[in-house]
Amino acid sequence: MMKNLENIPVEQRRRTNPLAHVFDEFMAFCQSRSLFMLHYCTGCGAVELPPVMTSRFDGERLGISPMVSPRQADVLLVTGYVSVKTLKRVILTYEQMPAPKYVVGICSCTVNGGMYWQSYATAKKLSDYMPVDIYIAGCMPRPEAVISGMRDLMEKIRTGKADSWKDYFRNYDHYLGQQQRLFGPKWQTPTDIIGEAEHYGLITKNTRGEHTRLLEEHQKRLEPLEMRL
Amino acid sequence: MRPENYEAKRQPPSNEFELNFGPNHPGIEGNYAFRVKVSGDIVLEGKADAGYLHRGFEKLMENRLWIQNIAITPRICVPDPVPMEVIYCLSVEDLCGQEVPARAQWLRVLQMEMSRFAAYLFYFGGLGSTNGMYTPHYWGMADRDLILDLFEELCGGRVYHIYNIPGGVRRDIPDGWLERVSSTFDYLESRLKDYDDLVFRNQVFIRRTRGIGVLNQQEALELGVTGPNLRACGLPFDVRRDDPYLVYDQLDFDLPTEDAGDNLARALVRRADLFEILRIIRQVIKALPDIDGPIRAPIPNPLAWNVPAGETYQRVESSKGELAWYVVSDGGDKPYRAHVRGPSQTHAVQVLEHLAKGARLEDIAQIMFSLDACPPEVDR
Repeated sequence: MMKNLENIPVEQRRRTNPLAHVFDEFMAFCQSRSLFMLHYCTGCGAVELPPVMTSRFDGERLGISPMVSPRQADVLLVTGYVSVKTLKRVILTYEQMPAPKYVVGICSCTVNGGMYWQSYATAKKLSDYMPVDIYIAGCMPRPEAVISGMRDLMEKIRTGKADSWKDYFRNYDHYLGQQQRLFGPKWQTPTDIIGEAEHYGLITKNTRGEHTRLLEEHQKRLEPLEMRL
Repeated sequence: MRPENYEAKRQPPSNEFELNFGPNHPGIEGNYAFRVKVSGDIVLEGKADAGYLHRGFEKLMENRLWIQNIAITPRICVPDPVPMEVIYCLSVEDLCGQEVPARAQWLRVLQMEMSRFAAYLFYFGGLGSTNGMYTPHYWGMADRDLILDLFEELCGGRVYHIYNIPGGVRRDIPDGWLERVSSTFDYLESRLKDYDDLVFRNQVFIRRTRGIGVLNQQEALELGVTGPNLRACGLPFDVRRDDPYLVYDQLDFDLPTEDAGDNLARALVRRADLFEILRIIRQVIKALPDIDGPIRAPIPNPLAWNVPAGETYQRVESSKGELAWYVVSDGGDKPYRAHVRGPSQTHAVQVLEHLAKGARLEDIAQIMFSLDACPPEVDR
């Protein structure tokens, strides 16, 4: 019985239980009310986050709290322009976060390059490289705008519409192709996205493709770790 | 992420380990990385890893009109943006041989000192956090917001103001704004006693910071340290006094110094600076109503503005240290070359690497915050 259940993808597994949607909605409500955000200070927008979190605007009354490690974070805030060197770290950080995970792009620079649309060093559009749930435009957005954006994200999570993290698994080949175009064909991270996609039952025909084949060619078969005493 | 995907590095057995601070780390300011080699908790060597915030400013400026560049200059240093605008305007004015009306000069001084005060409050918050004291961070941010509100009333922007323009400032101050500035800074002065009790007279802070990150005067001069960090080594040098620009020669202020050159001295110099900033702001508020006249000298059509050929080197004192710009014009409508000499590059790369040697691992974040470097300005 258990074995059969494991073969059913997560999406369809819910329907087997008549009360599943009640639990799902309750879980989504709880999730939306306790967001641990990892703010990667990629640019100027980071300077408006301390006012959001501290005494005056007090983001913690909404259940939003900063988190220092990607392994325990729910929301990745990308605050401002991402240079190519930073984007590699942003992608690695994003891939380390456990699902469900949400991305908020703050500042105009993450939307379309903003003030640095001409720059040779920055990536212009964040959603080319990773799925983004909410964009907060402005240069830089006021703390009220950031809080309003976070409330929109909470509403999206509560109604179950914030599922961009599934896009990353479903269209991994597309995102990897964009990353390879920017970083070169030998780009790789130590994460195993296809394995995770299998785990969540989110493999589609777009998950694997020419770009993942290129990745497998270049990905080093790594030796197992040896403990040194 | 799976552990088997990590590459195991075979290395000879040793007591030395490498550790990465940053780029995304709570103990580092902004998007900046610092790699240290430690043995136990003693740092043997540190290596700065900058470039995460590089946008290519100097190239971007060559592709924009003289007037368009005002919008991107404040983005170079985020916590203290006003000196960047002012120095760009000073450079263009110097190339054009333009005279700035007196009222605009006083308004620029007022802006720069307000921005300096806000940047110092930001600094105290960061320095407190690295010592495990989070209250200064909360208080500093709330008090800094009062200054940002004044800026918002003045020009509509909280953080980036774009209030200066070559030839003067964009518009005159709103009615009653000076009284509000005055009352806000009266309130901030009354808060300083609380900051003293919380941080600067707090034994936890004093014992934690005294004797850490010591930089003597000779080393500081060799490394090119400027600004409050140099004054913390006992050398009273300040561009505002020693090479006055705008109307600083008509203002009366002192340069507080400390002799120790350690983290505590760097914090105390900035703490003493707040009083001098308050003195300058009060003098400006007193003098400004009597200075009438235009706020802006006439400039040609900004979209077809050919600045005469020439080169200029201008410097001002920002809250981080000496900030200088070298601007070259070939007589066209865009700068031929613009170069920024930022104080943070020296402080965050050379000085930090120098101070990290022999420091303890838990002090690295504190040393970095006490130097008050601004990562966007390092990379530009």
